[in-house]
Amino acid sequence: MFKIDISSTIFFLKNLKKTLFSNLFNTIITLLIILFISVAISNTFAWLLFKANWKVVISNLPLYAFGSFPPNEQWRPATWMISLLLLSIFTLCGPEWKWLRKNLLIVWVGTIPLGLYLLYGGLGLSPIMSRHWGGLTLTILLTVCSSLLSLPFGIVLALCRQSSLPLIQKLSSIYIDVMRAIPLIAVLFFGQLLIPLFLPVGIEIDRVWRAIFAFTLFVSAYIAEDIRGGLQSIPNTQIEAANSLGLNQYQIIQFILIPQALRIALPALTNQSIGLFQNTSLMAILGLVELLGVGRSILANPEFIGQYIEVYVWLACVYWMVCTIMAVLARHLEQRMTINQANF
Amino acid sequence: MEPIVIAKNLTKSYTKGLRALDNVSLKVNRGKVLVVMGPSGSGKSTLIRTFNGLEAFDNGELNILGIKIDSTHDERKIQKIRRRVGMVFQQFNLFPHLSILENITLAPIHVQKRRQIEAEEYGMYLLSQMGIDSHAKKYPSQLSGGEQQRVAIARALALKPELLLFDEPTSALDPERVNEVLDAMRRLAEQGMTMVVVTHEISFAKDVSDQVLFMDSGKVIETSPPNIFFSNARHERSRKFLNQLDKH
Repeated sequence: MFKIDISSTIFFLKNLKKTLFSNLFNTIITLLIILFISVAISNTFAWLLFKANWKVVISNLPLYAFGSFPPNEQWRPATWMISLLLLSIFTLCGPEWKWLRKNLLIVWVGTIPLGLYLLYGGLGLSPIMSRHWGGLTLTILLTVCSSLLSLPFGIVLALCRQSSLPLIQKLSSIYIDVMRAIPLIAVLFFGQLLIPLFLPVGIEIDRVWRAIFAFTLFVSAYIAEDIRGGLQSIPNTQIEAANSLGLNQYQIIQFILIPQALRIALPALTNQSIGLFQNTSLMAILGLVELLGVGRSILANPEFIGQYIEVYVWLACVYWMVCTIMAVLARHLEQRMTINQANF
Repeated sequence: MEPIVIAKNLTKSYTKGLRALDNVSLKVNRGKVLVVMGPSGSGKSTLIRTFNGLEAFDNGELNILGIKIDSTHDERKIQKIRRRVGMVFQQFNLFPHLSILENITLAPIHVQKRRQIEAEEYGMYLLSQMGIDSHAKKYPSQLSGGEQQRVAIARALALKPELLLFDEPTSALDPERVNEVLDAMRRLAEQGMTMVVVTHEISFAKDVSDQVLFMDSGKVIETSPPNIFFSNARHERSRKFLNQLDKH
């Protein structure tokens, strides 16, 4: 049963009339804006529903998801991504059992070795070279591996920058400043083109790992600064209290400083990981066939030539959806962390 | 009579010419309560913070529980002292990201390497002594100031200290919350705990202390038993300070 509050509706309409149609000039402006919006909406929908040829998306769905992963093995990356999605849903809406909530983080970290195992193969699965990885799978793999590696590296950098030893302090601030002064694309070029030159003949690091390595070097500098902000906002009295309990320096860092700094830095860290997810698209320029790279290679196919708009609209939707999931998960984490600590 | 704290000629200056501690000497025996009074800036907080190494000093000698420290501020000796000396702060300084029970068990588990179950049992016992065992699972920000300060006392007691230092433990509390903390401290004194208490609470000093030490601008003006200090202080400066306190 709909229940419409008539008096408030009338009030709303009257108010609308007063603000939007108060005189001739305002009426004209209002009508023009309504006309413009409706033309834009109807054109967009007409294009989306009738003019656009979605065959370029629909017939290539496995390509967007898995790149050139062998078709009869595609269940492997599919399993990984579906398990990530299910775990996200479970984290957001699952039951509130305490032992479960405590171990959820371990499960999340555990998805990375699971994903690597499913992609690489071995131990009963047929091995697959990393040059066959691609699409959304590769994008997500780059994001999770780089962010997981850059978090501890960033924490160490932040602690070194706060260190009382001048040499360590100077070295880490030079590293952070240099990394922040270089554009990401330059670091990625360094990773892809220069690292192989430095390595002795015969040793070769996989391109995917070189990309992850380069992202880690770059992002950890930013993460270090976010965490330093968190460290600096912890009052000195916390350290005094821990000192007077006889905790040593490392215990203070482990039990008092890092947990509090991470909590304070959490919104900034979320930002970094969403930024990282989007920046993985730069790897398309450097020859990795991740999500954007798949789009570019499909557009190079004579069958789909010129269908830029369809492909990029579709890619934008996919990026938007994954970013939304990440943002919702991060907000959930923030709420859980501050649930008991209103004055924190 | 076993001395717990012996200070000899402690001197400390933050900036040249301005002395936070000026030739301070004192002695506290086991089971005794020393109350330190004085106007703000007189160096009383600095004094008790030297006892567990939170402040270094420039000259003099300190003997805490038989461990001697001097101006070199030897970290290993200070660490030894800290394991046997508890401290309670004006602003409680609880760890906001840990629950009440975790606040209390942190040091026993990681400093004394006790088993978690054992540490939690003793923590719960201490909380029930303080009358706040029902809050064990809560976080510090969910408690009132008086409750937080009692948690801080329980946290200091968890290491089974032989000396407790209190740095103005009731100054940050609402007036009606002061007594619940003072009562807890009274019970500790009755149980024979050695305590050094910086406070402005005259009634506490009168009832509980064995000695009152009065400081001004880094110097010890006088050390007297409370009945003499409050009725017939020897020094003009002490009498002036007590008059000021009475007016409030």
